[in-house]
Amino acid sequence: MSGSRSKSVVIWAFVLAAIAMLSAPTIVVLGASFTAGNMIEFPPQGFSLKWYSAILSATDLRDAFFRSVYVAALNTIIAIPIGTLAGIALAKYKVRLENTIQVYLLLPFTIPLIGSGIGLMLVFGNAGALGQLWPVAIACCVINLPFMIWAVTASASNLSNDLELAAANCGAPPVQTFLYITLPAVLPGVITGSLLMFILGLNEFLVSLLLVDARSVTLPVQIYNSIRSIITPDLAAISVVFIVCAGVAVTLLDRLVGLDIFLKSK
Amino acid sequence: MTFGDFQAVKDTSFDLPKGKFLTILGPSGSGKTTLLRLIAGFEKPTVGEIFINGQPVNAVPPYKRAIGMVFQKLALFPHMTAAENVAFPLKMRRHDARNIGKQVERYLELVKLGGYGTRRIHELSGGQQQRVAIARALVFEPDLLLLDEPLAALDVKLREEMQLEFRRIQKELGVTTINVTHDQREALVVSDEIIIMNDGAIQQKAQPVRAYRAPENPFVAHFIGVTNFIEAVAVSANGSTVTLTCKGRELVGVLAAGSAGLAQAARCTCAIRAEQVRIAPSQDRLGKLETQVRGQVNDAIFEGERIVYEIKVAELGDVLMKVFDHDPVGHLQFGPGDIVHLGWNAKDLHVFAK
Repeated sequence: MSGSRSKSVVIWAFVLAAIAMLSAPTIVVLGASFTAGNMIEFPPQGFSLKWYSAILSATDLRDAFFRSVYVAALNTIIAIPIGTLAGIALAKYKVRLENTIQVYLLLPFTIPLIGSGIGLMLVFGNAGALGQLWPVAIACCVINLPFMIWAVTASASNLSNDLELAAANCGAPPVQTFLYITLPAVLPGVITGSLLMFILGLNEFLVSLLLVDARSVTLPVQIYNSIRSIITPDLAAISVVFIVCAGVAVTLLDRLVGLDIFLKSK
Repeated sequence: MTFGDFQAVKDTSFDLPKGKFLTILGPSGSGKTTLLRLIAGFEKPTVGEIFINGQPVNAVPPYKRAIGMVFQKLALFPHMTAAENVAFPLKMRRHDARNIGKQVERYLELVKLGGYGTRRIHELSGGQQQRVAIARALVFEPDLLLLDEPLAALDVKLREEMQLEFRRIQKELGVTTINVTHDQREALVVSDEIIIMNDGAIQQKAQPVRAYRAPENPFVAHFIGVTNFIEAVAVSANGSTVTLTCKGRELVGVLAAGSAGLAQAARCTCAIRAEQVRIAPSQDRLGKLETQVRGQVNDAIFEGERIVYEIKVAELGDVLMKVFDHDPVGHLQFGPGDIVHLGWNAKDLHVFAK
């Protein structure tokens, strides 16, 4: 008995340590954002919402935030059709060079982000597109697309081949079969992938850093720039807003399709 | 029909009159599912032509064929309700939207699921899902209904119930039906006509009683029912009555319809059903049965309504014969090692030329 008890004590200690480690940064930022003082610090001095009102009037932070939302939205819109079709194709058909394609899809992860960032910078630089937001969205899409594809593949591989044959047998031509049967069946995967793409697009820092200029900074870059000059609690406040956005997306995901579908995928 | 080097279905030709219930029976890998997929249009035949209502359909894609199909794993659309599943073929075939609701309700009633229309598929039991699949396959009044072993996954009781249900619905609507199964009992129970397939070729096409009573080759005799095989050599033939010899013991049997004629001393396979062999403790209890042999009980398996004996018959070359018995009066049961007497009538011994 005592053996199993000490075992459970050890396990609980690990669990608590893991929870503390995972949540510490968020708690620190959250706490610091409510400080009444003028320094970013934890534990905070007093309690006030003044830094939140400060970011409301700070146009540079606010604009950067909307630019990030725009990048995240555009990158998701591009990723949905590409990722959905690619995911279904990989799951359902015997694609030639399937393994090669899988490895190729992993490339954005295996190549250091700074490397692919410089590559993309050269490409868009030559095209004279730097300083605009759409190249950032496309770059985010290229780098994070595997998440979208994996999410779709996870739900498409549960899709029985018979389902599409049954639709044909019911009189549905290929396009209708895709719209009424295949797409609804993989929809949980598409929603999961889209929300992930949105969150990742919202958070993307390193590649944005290389692709933006002073007129088109996204929020993570704006925060980074500010830190280099002076660290004030308004950065903590905007970070909290940022975290809340991501939190809303994750909650939405859980409500709509459940997180398990993504956790189960390869 | 050829996949790579493998011929899944070959030399297969049959026709099916309107309104009949045909079962294609065969072991797995016999080509019966391929045949069904060819008819449904999911595969294209490499040679040959399929006609529906007298029209060639090889060039017609599956969604333009008026064929309803119940899939082995049902393939109901999981994101739709029962009624939406049944309505789907009507929507895709552009039926008048005002009548769809009524038609769906009528077919849900037909399969005894009235009032279940709003249920989601996963909220229905296995048997109810079967019924939705049947309604979906029939709702647009197809020329032909295909059943791809839809009952294989059900437990015995439910399977037997659904077999009769298929029979009832088919009779009620008079829809021409092709059923594929490896379950010989199902084939005998539901069909007007049975095709027995093996190795991609038709072995026999006959009504259930005839397929059972008059198998045309050893494969059919083996696949349907429990059958004993005895190797023998022909001695003489008089019409279809054949006299043979096995290990010096004379046997008389009837030449099967599939075997043309027998040459003198031709080697033959003889088949007799387990239930057509009588078993008795002494010879006088066998009465007038034309062929009688002595054997020793090897094994006795009690199955409730019957006992299955495995009898070693020395005079037929130590062949092991399966015999059904239930002795309704005396409840007599033999044990391993007992000496018993077996007897059967000559007309029940089917002789196949090799």
